[in-house]
Amino acid sequence: LEDERRRKRRSRWAGGEHEKIFIPGMPTILPCNLSKEQEEAYLLQLQIEEVSRKLRSGDLGISPNPEERSPSPEPIYSSDGKRLNTREFRTRRRLEEERHNLVLRMQTINPEFKPPVDYNRPPVIRVSD
Amino acid sequence: PGLSLVGASGPATEVLCLLNMVTPDELKDEEEYEDILEDIKEECNKYGVVRSIEIPRPIEGVDVPGCGKVFVEFNSVLDCQKAQQALTGRKFSNRVVVTSYFDPEKYHRREF
Repeated sequence: LEDERRRKRRSRWAGGEHEKIFIPGMPTILPCNLSKEQEEAYLLQLQIEEVSRKLRSGDLGISPNPEERSPSPEPIYSSDGKRLNTREFRTRRRLEEERHNLVLRMQTINPEFKPPVDYNRPPVIRVSD
Repeated sequence: PGLSLVGASGPATEVLCLLNMVTPDELKDEEEYEDILEDIKEECNKYGVVRSIEIPRPIEGVDVPGCGKVFVEFNSVLDCQKAQQALTGRKFSNRVVVTSYFDPEKYHRREF
């Protein structure tokens, strides 16, 4: 059973040595003399930029392999028959929420922090699953 | 955010610190922890000889230093540099891996 689990398991590493994420202005090598706060602020900034990049580019990280996706909830349709809770919609909403939480955390460390221009506080009205 | 990091990695050491890679939540589960450890060991071994790995795990009600970071001790500074070049900016669990060198003395004293 242990062997089977090992075989089935996929590595958490994605891509090869040369497939890297470049975020403009955000190097991924840090000096070792950062304070804990500087380090946390930098990582938060990086995470905010990364989520923003996904939302802007539409490259939401949805796996093309259905086996790797979570099960879909019951569909919800609008009055004109359009599906509201598509996987893309749900993923975008999750990313918006994630970014919102990151921005809130960042603002507790750095009250001067300016969120990305396309950042909106998530609306209160939502489609429930 | 007001931080200039260009060309400031500091002196290379034989201990690599990997950040933005694991969350304390993921490390709570024994099986998931073992899997994460295995994934990291396997990948790091491609670039050099790994001497030891430390992944501080969360403890209920305790602020565990270094929790959320991964520390990998290599056999030499050169191996560590090779691993840093190969791993920094890669994706692990869909997160961007950030790296820095870590003071070996602090590592051995477990001052994470």
